[in-house]
Amino acid sequence: MAVDSIPQQTQEKTAPIDSADLVVGVLADLGKDGIVALCEGLRTLSGSPRIVVLQRDPIGDAPTASSQGAQEDTSPSLLPWSAVGPDPLGAPMQSISIACQSLFAVSEKLGARACCFIASEMESVSPQWICRLLQPLLESDFDLVAPYYTPRTLQGLLNTSIIYPLTRCLYGKRIRNPFGPDVGVSRKLAHKLLGTFRNANASSNQTHPLASLAPVTVCDNLQICQVHVGARVFPPTDWTNMSSVVAQVLGPIFLEMDRNAACWQRARGSVSVPVRGECQCPSEETGTLDLNRMVETFRLGVRDLQEIWSLVLPPATLFEIRKVSRSTAEQVNMPDELWARIVYDFALAHRLRTINRDHLLRSMTPLYLAWVVSYARELETAGATSIEQRIERLALAYEAAKPYLISRWRWPDRFNP
Amino acid sequence: MWYQVKQELILSTTKFLTELAYLLPGMVALIAALLISIVLAWMLAIVVRRLLTSINFDERLNRWGFASLREWSPMDSPTRLASRTVAGIVILAGFLIGIAAFDVESTSLLVRNVFAYIPNIVGAMLVLLVGSIVASFLARSVLIGAVNLNLQYARLLSLGVKWLVIVLAVAMALEHLKIAPSIVDLAFGILFGGIVLTLVLAIGLNSKELVNKSLERGDKEASRENVEEPFRHI
Repeated sequence: MAVDSIPQQTQEKTAPIDSADLVVGVLADLGKDGIVALCEGLRTLSGSPRIVVLQRDPIGDAPTASSQGAQEDTSPSLLPWSAVGPDPLGAPMQSISIACQSLFAVSEKLGARACCFIASEMESVSPQWICRLLQPLLESDFDLVAPYYTPRTLQGLLNTSIIYPLTRCLYGKRIRNPFGPDVGVSRKLAHKLLGTFRNANASSNQTHPLASLAPVTVCDNLQICQVHVGARVFPPTDWTNMSSVVAQVLGPIFLEMDRNAACWQRARGSVSVPVRGECQCPSEETGTLDLNRMVETFRLGVRDLQEIWSLVLPPATLFEIRKVSRSTAEQVNMPDELWARIVYDFALAHRLRTINRDHLLRSMTPLYLAWVVSYARELETAGATSIEQRIERLALAYEAAKPYLISRWRWPDRFNP
Repeated sequence: MWYQVKQELILSTTKFLTELAYLLPGMVALIAALLISIVLAWMLAIVVRRLLTSINFDERLNRWGFASLREWSPMDSPTRLASRTVAGIVILAGFLIGIAAFDVESTSLLVRNVFAYIPNIVGAMLVLLVGSIVASFLARSVLIGAVNLNLQYARLLSLGVKWLVIVLAVAMALEHLKIAPSIVDLAFGILFGGIVLTLVLAIGLNSKELVNKSLERGDKEASRENVEEPFRHI
């Protein structure tokens, strides 16, 4: 079954390889030099593990001359990987999902101890950070190695606003980037994740491997650690496709929330997760920001999407949103407590299928932009040094509102404050 | 002479009374069938309503994405719509049974024609139902998409799309019912073209300022795009 997830070309190329200790899937465009540097870095790993590197092949052709040359070396073996979905630009999350499943399948087929998925580029020139992700898998018995990117004020905003605080509040582990996308995964976890996908496919639920990582690890009591990997280069924002990105990211997270309801309802508070390496925290200037576009979208949403929001949000929340929209553009401020309740209400509506799920998630975009405006304005004046405090405050607001989520989740009809 | 007139009168009276006597059982049967079907329909409607209420049919419909059905239902309740539809069908069936009891060629022909027309009615109702659902779905998609693209006339666009689809569905339903097909074609063409023209005029003329604002915003956004955007979301 798992073999079906492996692209034909990769299957043919892996056929002569009996087994491996590590499988590294590189979806990011590291370039020829980057791949060579990565291979050199991998050779220095302790214990001389047998490594297979799957390198994305953009045109799906045979491997380039350099990779063929590298294949002649005993380790690591460099193989082409045409695992990208139908439209990597239009549906990046889908491409990552397909690639991830294929990586886990290859890893299982080769009986690897661990695998590593690389989808980002870093600001640092050397790809040594990838080796830092692998070390805890080989040297210690960690099952999930999550990345800890250098925090930047206006980057990774979906993670800052929803993914991190929601995952932390639900599952009780402070995993800074639970959605990766650059992660190290043990054999045990990869096997469990593959099982999850098979079940999900059988019940036609569209889960995403990255969204399942943290929930499966925590709910199955597996070991997690984080590694400082430097500053990630985030892809530029496509404003015309913003709501689609929000829907693609939040959909799988809310699905996981539904699937693991029994697990997260037991969790209380949150505990830190060990972090390896040192944080490089460069000073950062946000400069003067143009927030008008986001404020306009939020106000337009308040004017035209009331009908949809009223199916999802309780009257008190709607009243507060209207109050926020009435303030001047410079004073638009969405309190963290309100934002946390909005996220919980949307998660509940997603579970109950109050309206079409795609409509539901897309209609959340103006509210998300209102939160981004509040956050950006606050950090514009406070400075980059207070990012951590700001994120911590938001996470605590999510934790404080968890009883509200549990009550609404258990009694959606009866509990309506 | 007088005798002959008397004979004719007796004959015509006898003929009338004989024909009336033939019709009376049929009429009694029709009334009886109607009364029985009304009682049966009332009982069935109660059963259906209680059954649907017990399974929260209205809420379930909402969850399954058929929220637009509420707009078409009496007292905003699809449960009532379903129970009344069942009652209506039972009464109609009773009426047709009663008519058939006349045992006249024309009535049996009428019954046959009515039964032959039922698939058209069902087809038209399905077309209307699907049209209404598709219209609501598309209207909502357009509204959300337009708001997220920051278009000031999002609601207007959404309403335009909704009515375009509804007009199309109504025209298709009437075509299915074979009601004045040539007039329906013509009316549909005029109405559909009219909605499109209205939208174009609304955006082009009446909303001139709005379009100007949008274009200005477009220029602003083009200049914004030249400046490096600091926000990164995922």
